[in-house]
Amino acid sequence: MEAMQETMIEVKNLVKKYGTFTAVNSIGFSVQKGEIFGLLGPNGAGKSTTLEMMVGLRKPDEGTAIIGGFDISREMKKVKEVIGIQLQSTTLFELLTVEEILRLYASFYRVNVSIPDLIEEMVLTEKTKSRIKTLSGGQKQRLAIALALVHDPWIIFLDEPTTGLDPQARRTLWDIVLKLKEKGKTTVLTTHYMDEAHVLCDRIAIMDQGKLIALDTPTNLVKSLQSDSAVEFQFEGEFLTGELEMIDGVKQVGKRKDTYVLYTDDIQMTLINLIHMTTKKDIKLTDLQTRTSTLEDVFIHMTGRSLREE
Amino acid sequence: MRAYWQLTLSQLRIFIRNRQVLFWTLAFPIFLMVMLGSFLGNGNGLSISIGIVDQDNTILSKELSKILAENEVVHLESNLSEDKALTQVKEGDLQLVVVIPNGYETRMKDNANEEQFELPVYYNETNIAVSQVGLTLVNGVVDGISKEKADYKPSIVTDTRGVEALNLSYIDFLVPGILAMMIMSNNMNGVAGQIAAWRERGILRRMQGTTLKASTFIAAQITARLMLNGLQALIVLAVAHLVFGVSVNGSWVSLVSFVILGTLAFMAIGFIIAGIAKTPESAAPIAGFLSFPMLFLGGVFFPVRDMPDFLQPIINVIPISHLSHALREIMNVGTPFMELGFEALILGCWIIGAFIVASYTFKWE
Repeated sequence: MEAMQETMIEVKNLVKKYGTFTAVNSIGFSVQKGEIFGLLGPNGAGKSTTLEMMVGLRKPDEGTAIIGGFDISREMKKVKEVIGIQLQSTTLFELLTVEEILRLYASFYRVNVSIPDLIEEMVLTEKTKSRIKTLSGGQKQRLAIALALVHDPWIIFLDEPTTGLDPQARRTLWDIVLKLKEKGKTTVLTTHYMDEAHVLCDRIAIMDQGKLIALDTPTNLVKSLQSDSAVEFQFEGEFLTGELEMIDGVKQVGKRKDTYVLYTDDIQMTLINLIHMTTKKDIKLTDLQTRTSTLEDVFIHMTGRSLREE
Repeated sequence: MRAYWQLTLSQLRIFIRNRQVLFWTLAFPIFLMVMLGSFLGNGNGLSISIGIVDQDNTILSKELSKILAENEVVHLESNLSEDKALTQVKEGDLQLVVVIPNGYETRMKDNANEEQFELPVYYNETNIAVSQVGLTLVNGVVDGISKEKADYKPSIVTDTRGVEALNLSYIDFLVPGILAMMIMSNNMNGVAGQIAAWRERGILRRMQGTTLKASTFIAAQITARLMLNGLQALIVLAVAHLVFGVSVNGSWVSLVSFVILGTLAFMAIGFIIAGIAKTPESAAPIAGFLSFPMLFLGGVFFPVRDMPDFLQPIINVIPISHLSHALREIMNVGTPFMELGFEALILGCWIIGAFIVASYTFKWE
């Protein structure tokens, strides 16, 4: 299998600056055919800017990318023929129907897929003749993905495809993305939901402040924490982080607003010791929770900050 | 080519489904046309109220009033006291007051007296244009009477025919102006608003991510707007014909040619506005800032020659005055396209110049 791998995307040292602010700082990675590749990071990390440079909507200040064998700095027209894009916060012509806008976008390309089949795959059949303004958020987002697929592209770019959707709509969308993978499509998506990245992505690039800070499979990223569980709690009064680090089994202590997080590879031992210590010091714990470590914890571990700023 | 037709079709669908915009862009010009056309009437667009204070009250003095009243432009108010008549002139209800003093008939019948008899005429200087016309009228009548009395045979007379042969009235002047106004506002304001909104909403950006060429997009915009404008112009002309009996005296081909030229020129300006407007909210005021003065300076409602001299250079440059003039010539006089080459040239310069500027100012996002 490894021998069959074919590189679809090769990103080389992309840089984007806005004045003195560096939005994307020398990003480089490659994506294999059939992969779902995730760009994970908080708002303003440079995910969308990176994606927009790859699809030709922004000019990189330095570096380039080879997409489907074509260089984005010289052969953008050819790149556009093999990629399909869904952009963040795009609105469409509200007064056209689902079928009409798909036919319109299909007319922009030389190669087209069957429109009725595409509508079927995107679970929009009953909305075929409805105007876009009558669609729900999830339906609009699926239509946006349908528009990215009208010309049967090899590579699909999705910029925060599930932001703002309800859980049901998110799951429908995940199914669609996974079906695209079955068809052999390569997908690059950005997200700030770690659960989404975990479920969908084969590999994840974590971005923060314009830099790529980690790149691996979701499982390996979590493994890199060396602690499979997390204990979260709040309390009244003062506490020294040093004291928490002394607790048995604790690998690392994190703090997010008022909530303390203890990362541990021995949850039982850590809990017993924590309760013991707080009881002795007469400290009242509130909101005590335990859970397995997630990509969110990986992010906090690497940056000391949360993915989503509350 | 398929993209071009699909985009044109989509744009037409959007026009037709946007009922409110469709209605108001048509209703406003028609409303204006019907209102102005009805109020300012089928006369020459000019009516003069003259007050007569007949102190003489004789057969001859009454005859003078009668001659004045025969002129179709004149609305005569008689049986007024001198004081009341003068107040009305001051208030603008009357443009002129002619006083026929006592002894008019006696003096007229007395051939021996060589002294000139004076007929006081009062006018309000604040409305000088109309007063002047009125004065000329009164002078003409008085002159006629005095020549008749002297048994004077003129050796040269003017033969006024010209425009009268076409039987033109204000509505004939107005309809081409309304057409020009509609072409200006629908395209300039329409393109500016729509493109700015599409840019704000990311619609243009999304299209930029496809293999669609900008030229195809713009060509489709132009085609759809030409179709819509053509249809709207036809409706306005039909209403003008049914309500006021206004007809197109010239060739339809020339008329359509200028509708196309006007549409292109104002669309190009609209694209510039869409390019410089940072938000869709600012596009409308910028378009309004340009279209409002053009409405008044461009010969839409009043003849360009009525404008003060210092504005004439501006009037000679702005596209609307050439469009309204050309449409008027074609509709009223039936001037062939070839004789309107200057107007076509000016509009052509605007089209080329504005599209060049637009190509620099235009932004997809």
